[in-house]
Parts: sequence; C-alpha cells; structure tokens
Amino acid sequence: MVNQILFVVLPYLSAAIFLVGVLYRFILWMKAPVPLRIVTTPAPKTRRGVAWRMAGDVLWFPSLIKADMPLWAAGWTFHMLLWMVLLRHLRYFLYPVPGWVEGIQTAGLYAGYLIPIPLAALLIRRLATERNLYISILGDYFSLFLLLGISVSGFLLGVFFRTYIVDVKALALGLVHFNPVQVEVHWLFALHFLLVLVLLIYFPFSKLMHAGGLFLSPTRNQRANFEKRFVNPWDDDYPVSYNPENIFPPEKYSEMLKKPKSEDKS
Amino acid sequence: MRTPLPIPPLKTGASAHQKSYPAKTKDMIKVDLPKERAKDWKEVMLKKMAEVLDRNRSVRLYLESCVKCGACADKCQFFLGTGDPKNMPVARADLLRKVYNRYFTLGGKIWGKVNEAADLDEAMLQDWYTYFYQCSECRRCSVACPFGIDTAEITMAAREIMAAAGIATKYVTEVVAKVYDTGNNLGIWPAAWKDSCEFLEQDLKDTENIDIRFPVDEVGAEILLVPPSADNFVNIDTMIGYAKMFHAAGISWTTSTYCNEGGNFGMFLDYGNLKKVNNRILEAARQLKVKKVYWGE
Ligand code: SF4
Ligand code: SF4
Repeated sequence: MVNQILFVVLPYLSAAIFLVGVLYRFILWMKAPVPLRIVTTPAPKTRRGVAWRMAGDVLWFPSLIKADMPLWAAGWTFHMLLWMVLLRHLRYFLYPVPGWVEGIQTAGLYAGYLIPIPLAALLIRRLATERNLYISILGDYFSLFLLLGISVSGFLLGVFFRTYIVDVKALALGLVHFNPVQVEVHWLFALHFLLVLVLLIYFPFSKLMHAGGLFLSPTRNQRANFEKRFVNPWDDDYPVSYNPENIFPPEKYSEMLKKPKSEDKS
Repeated sequence: MRTPLPIPPLKTGASAHQKSYPAKTKDMIKVDLPKERAKDWKEVMLKKMAEVLDRNRSVRLYLESCVKCGACADKCQFFLGTGDPKNMPVARADLLRKVYNRYFTLGGKIWGKVNEAADLDEAMLQDWYTYFYQCSECRRCSVACPFGIDTAEITMAAREIMAAAGIATKYVTEVVAKVYDTGNNLGIWPAAWKDSCEFLEQDLKDTENIDIRFPVDEVGAEILLVPPSADNFVNIDTMIGYAKMFHAAGISWTTSTYCNEGGNFGMFLDYGNLKKVNNRILEAARQLKVKKVYWGE
C-alpha cells in the first residue's frame, strides 16, 4: 500500500503538479504585457545578441561575478554540478542509454558527491552575513535543506547503501512508460525518491521558479533597438487631457504661436 | 581597479524618520490625483495593484523570481549611506512582495506566516511611503541581480499604487504641476524664457562680439531643442554651447516655451503623468512643425 502510494500515485501526482504549476506560472507571466522598453544597458541590439546574453546569464552568471564573488563561486558551482547530476540521472529514465549519457557517468557521479559542498556554503553564507540573514525567509531555508537532503541521501546511496540498481531502473522506466512496476528498494532510496517528489511539488509555488523567470526578465531579454518605435499596448487607456487648473495647455500654446512676435510678452 | 564602498552594519530604522514632505492639495489637483488620502485607501490601493500586476510583466515576475541571494543588497546608495536594512533593494521590494503575497497568492492568503505575507495596514503604508521614496530609481541593483530584477520598477509600481489613493510627495507633484503651468520643472514662465534667450544673445555680442541667435518658438525650424530647463537658468554655458554648435553647423533650430524640459518627473509619480509630460515634447514639435527633436537630460 505504502509502496503503491510512494512509487505510483505520488510520482504521477507530483509530476502533474510540477507541469501544470510551471505552465500556469509561465502563462500568468506571459499574459502581462511589457509596457516599457527598459532593458538594462549595455544591451544587445539584435535577437542573436539577446540569445548570447541569455546564454551567458544561464551558464556563467556574469552579473554575480561583478556583484558578489563568493556568492558567484558557490552559486555557479552548485548550478553546474546540478546540471551534471540531472543529466547523469537520465540513464535511469532512458533505454537504451545514449552514448553521451554513458560518457558523463563518472563526472556526474563525482558531481553528485560534491554538490553538498556549495549547498552548505550557500547556507552558511545566508546565516553568517547580517544582510542575508535579514532578507532570508522560510522558503530559502526550506529549499536549501531540501536540496541538501536530496544530495546527501543520494551520496549515501551511491557510496554506502548501494541500492539494487536494476530495480531502480525498472521502477523509473515503468513510470516513464506509464506501466508502473512494484519493486523492493532500500529505505534510503525511498527517502531520496520522496524528497525529489517534494521538490517537484514545491517547485512551481516557490522562488525556484527563478529558473524560468530569468528567460522572461524584461531587463535582460529585450533588445536595445531604441531607434525602432516601441508602442505600449495599453497606452491608449491613458489619454492626455488637461484640467482647468493646468494653466498652460496645448490650446494656449497654439494661440501664442498665432500672435505676432512683439505682442506675446505675457 | 574597483574600490568598493565599505558596507555599513545594519541599523534597523536608521532612515525611518526621513519622510518626504506630503503633497499639497493644489498640486494634487493639477496632476489629476485624489486631493488627499482616500478614506478607503486600502481598497483603492489593492485594486490599483491588481491593475498594475496585469499591466506590467516585470512586476509580477520580479516579485516571484527573487531568490533572496543578496547580491543587490549592498549595491543601493541609500543602503550604503544609511545602513537601514529596508533600503537594501531586495528588502525594499519585499515591502511590496509581502503585500502581494498576502492578497494575490494562494499560499499567502491561507497561511501568511510561512509565506512571507503581510497586511496592507497603516504601518506598512508608512513603510511604503518612506522607503519607496528613498529609492532614486537608478537601477543599479538590477545590474547586480543575476535575473536583472529591477527594484526601480517595483518602486514605480508602488508609487503608482499609492498615487491612485491620493498619496504622493510634495516635491514630485509640485514639479509635475509646474510643467503643466509653465512648460518646465523650474517654473520658468514663457516671458522669462524669452528674456533669458535675448539676454544671452546680447551677452555674446557684448563679450565675444558674435551674432548668434537663441531662437524661441520659431515655427518651421528644422530642429526643436529640448534642454534640461536648468541649462537656460543656471548652466547657461551649456545653453551657449548649444547655440554655438547649431550656429557653426548652420542648422535652423528653436526652443519652445511650451516644452523646455527634458526631465520627466512623471516617471516618479505614475504612468498618466509620465505620458502627459512627455506628450508636451510631441505637441511642441507638431505645433512648431520641426523635423527633428534634440532632447537631453
Ligand atoms: S533602483 Fe532604488 S533600490 Fe535599486 S539601487 Fe537604485 S535607489 Fe537603490
Ligand atoms: S540580486 Fe536579485 S535575486 Fe538576489 S536578492 Fe537581489 S533582487 Fe533578489
């Protein structure tokens, strides 16, 4: 019964919440128009340039390098290791396993062993500096502890409590092909698996959505093609009108211009 | 070599007492805002906030995507100068974020405590008024942020929301009102503008013995020059510079008494006024039938 819930019901439920939630958030974001072309300069003038800028922001975090080096070191290391770990885990969901996934297996394993280090650094940094402690909220700690829990349990699974990998793969493939199978696994694996599901459920409701938000950020994804007219879609809702208290409305200016030059010294 | 300013220790409430002088009724009328704080200010503000969220992708996106990394925290000059933690850009945005969470997110509605939500009450409003008017909208924080989160846009949203309920500062509303009365931020009347231009013409003739014109309101000129109004008031060397340059280039130009101001304080108030102030440039250009506008600030 517990097995049924943990390995069948919950995975599908959390995957659904994750997908629907992320989609919903994206739709809410995209529905709102961008009224002003206020990109952070210096900004690229072309779409290709924007693509490069985005790629840089995703892969290299250039603004953090300038803003906060220690944060960059921890944050960048964490995100890159995370990529490695995620890609390595593809081997459980794909059959046959593609060559390149095989190729990064060893690197991915080590990435997984190392990933708690930058996470711990991020946590310590949050607690150790006054400013970061001040701005931190419950969700920040929750995300960090969740990720720490996942990575430490993963590390233990890989090094000390080796779970029977054939069963794990059967489980994952069964889920992917909508043909879930029942397997007996180590309790630590069950924990690792459960925490990942919690992460999936938590993701769309949390700041973890920054992963998607970055791509829509108007200060980063716009072009600096200021020479082209940019029209605010709701600009017409704000017609320009002068009230009687405004003593220099446009009509008065037209009158002034009509008068001969010498008279208009008023 | 970058030499960063020393980062001050947090001094809670260090600049809480520094409140901008509230707007005067006469100016509020001139900028088409409620004369005074609305009795149902909270409802008005929440309604405006819903509208602002629907109209600006950046606002919702930035409220929801901040990871509280703190990269922007020590980048704001108002924080560096005061040490007041609410002047850290992320904490400034949090003032709006908390209200947003409370009224516009499910988590904040049902379990505010764990979801960083707070009521829009008098204390919160006072914090908004204080700290959203201690932001110069310089956008330095957005350069530091890994996602380009622009606290200036959050500040603009908050001021727009407050303005809708009749809450604004004297400084900003007075300046905008002056633009509608005189065509510039400083309140220089058309006659004074012309006088100043004639004076400069005479002055150049007397001191440098050259005939250079400072045209005003000349219909059909090629270029409309919209300087910062201070250029014809205190920084007159700049004004002389423009005139000499146009003279040397042989280009016909003019200033306008209807619009002789490139700075737009509507930006610090709300969209309606931002547009109306900018519209004066267009209007002047149309009425003077110029081909181009040169516009500085
Ligand atoms: S935009 Fe505002 S919050 Fe950001 S650095 Fe400038 S003054 Fe500070
Ligand atoms: S730098 Fe950006 S993500 Fe980090 S705390 Fe500031 S606004 Fe939030």
